[in-house]
Amino acid sequence: MLSVEEAQRFLVAEARLLDERRFEEWEQLFTDDAVYWVPMDPDRDPQQTVSIVYDDRRRLHERVYRLTRTPVLDQNPPSRTVRLVGNVEVGPGEGPEEAQVRCNQLIAEMRPGGPGQAGLNNPRWLAARCEYRLRRVDGSWRIALKKVVLLDADQPQYNLSFIP
Amino acid sequence: MELRTRSQLSYADLVVDDPREFRVHGSVYTDPQVFEEEMRRLFERAWVYVGHESELPAPGDYKTVLVGRQPLILTRHEDGRIYALYNRCRHRGAVVCREERGHSNFFRCRYHNWVYANNGALIGMAQASGYPEDLDRSRYGLVPVARLDSYRGLLFVSLAQDGPSLEEHLEPVRKYVDYWFGRSPSERIQVILPPHRYEYPGNWKLQAENGFDGYHGNYVHLSWQRVLQLSKESTVEEVQQYRQEGCVRGLRNGHGLLERPGSLNPASSWTARMMHRYPEYAEAMRKRFTDAELMEVSARRNIFVFPNLYLFDTHIRVIVPKAVDRTEVQLYVYALEDVPEAINRSRYRGHERFYGPAGFGAPDDIEVFTEIQTGLQATGDPWNLLNRGQHRERVVDGEAIGYTTDEAPQRSLYRAWRQAMAEP
Repeated sequence: MLSVEEAQRFLVAEARLLDERRFEEWEQLFTDDAVYWVPMDPDRDPQQTVSIVYDDRRRLHERVYRLTRTPVLDQNPPSRTVRLVGNVEVGPGEGPEEAQVRCNQLIAEMRPGGPGQAGLNNPRWLAARCEYRLRRVDGSWRIALKKVVLLDADQPQYNLSFIP
Repeated sequence: MELRTRSQLSYADLVVDDPREFRVHGSVYTDPQVFEEEMRRLFERAWVYVGHESELPAPGDYKTVLVGRQPLILTRHEDGRIYALYNRCRHRGAVVCREERGHSNFFRCRYHNWVYANNGALIGMAQASGYPEDLDRSRYGLVPVARLDSYRGLLFVSLAQDGPSLEEHLEPVRKYVDYWFGRSPSERIQVILPPHRYEYPGNWKLQAENGFDGYHGNYVHLSWQRVLQLSKESTVEEVQQYRQEGCVRGLRNGHGLLERPGSLNPASSWTARMMHRYPEYAEAMRKRFTDAELMEVSARRNIFVFPNLYLFDTHIRVIVPKAVDRTEVQLYVYALEDVPEAINRSRYRGHERFYGPAGFGAPDDIEVFTEIQTGLQATGDPWNLLNRGQHRERVVDGEAIGYTTDEAPQRSLYRAWRQAMAEP
């Protein structure tokens, strides 16, 4: 069984990888059958609607590849983020090698730029309730599901290409 | 070239329909006064798209929208009809509905409990004895908009009593709208909720100009092309070749479109590929359409219906101007009716991959909108050029047809804009 302290350590390490834009290392945290899901309506079947993000492992790889290896505009200049992980709760998963983890995350985000640039130099906060399904693979915990329910998931969003 | 400031120009002067150098003045994107006049002269008069009938399937279903600056309720009454009502209590002016969408058999003002039916009729109020017994309640219903009309389930309102009918407004673009529905063998769609919504710090016309722009793709979406190459779907060269094919069409009344050619070859069109993959879909499509019609149905078009609607292959796009430099865009993904479930599911995943606030394409477009909004603050030369391809444009049956990278549809948009803004 995963302890709250271990879960907290895992989530903080994940947040650090994202804040430091170490996206390729972050991607390695996910299991082969993982899903990364940012719904607009968490109560709807993601197969029957569209989400802000609904990545299987292949789509997640594309997302990381796009951010790190292609000439994107939406992350040039790149986002700075500061993530705060709290209210961590751990519940039993399916079997001894899995755990359900809930937490709240606050993400501060800003893209720097020159004077007067619309959309840049504008710090904003995103708040989210998160659910993770963690699975122990070869002795270390990996992410089988990361679900990020933004406080304003159903409201218009500006650029979320930095990986919320 | 004349460099003139906004104060020296009338609204109509902000678009110069020069045969060699069609141009628009930067203030159409930046001047709050222009925005106010757009709301008054254009959005609060023209036929504005407000939703699809499938969003309100049952009596009591409603959604609220803004048309220009004005809050409206769209709701289906127990008589089965849809009503578009001003969201304002007739007593002291509070809204009678605060939700975005839902189901209710009446609308109640929370201030003094005035209650209205879904057709707007005033049912009653608190302490009615404070009014004469012979009060004519029929005078105090929620006010319906001047005109509500629909085309194949697409709902439009006009807040003006006068002006062209919806049929007249849509006439130049109607056949392309019909083809768009044709990817469903019953020619019907079902809107899937909730919509993708994004907002950007830029003018609404930047989105309107971009949806049928065939010029930017190889540069703004090079990143997307690399992703397609990674997944071995197509090489960057193949996508760039594809982006040379087809045409743009500038239509009368401000409409326009970007068109990629249709094909019955599974390698060359989405529709043909789906027909190849799903025999039951192929059978239904062949029963409904001739080969010539299938060529049109399988053409991929981004269709703009002036002033606020786009029809895309995966979604209905609604542009909601909020301020001169703030715009919301809503993308309503839809199911094609009577096609295999797997086709629609793959359309949703394909949509998510490119569109929405975390897609692999749309945020790159939005980034450019913010770059334009910033650049337009520089007024050394206040004019923007929309003259690409003017010299090679052909006009056939009232359609200005250009190369796929030309700006014919943008010119149509601004001709209609100019006409609307020239009216008092």
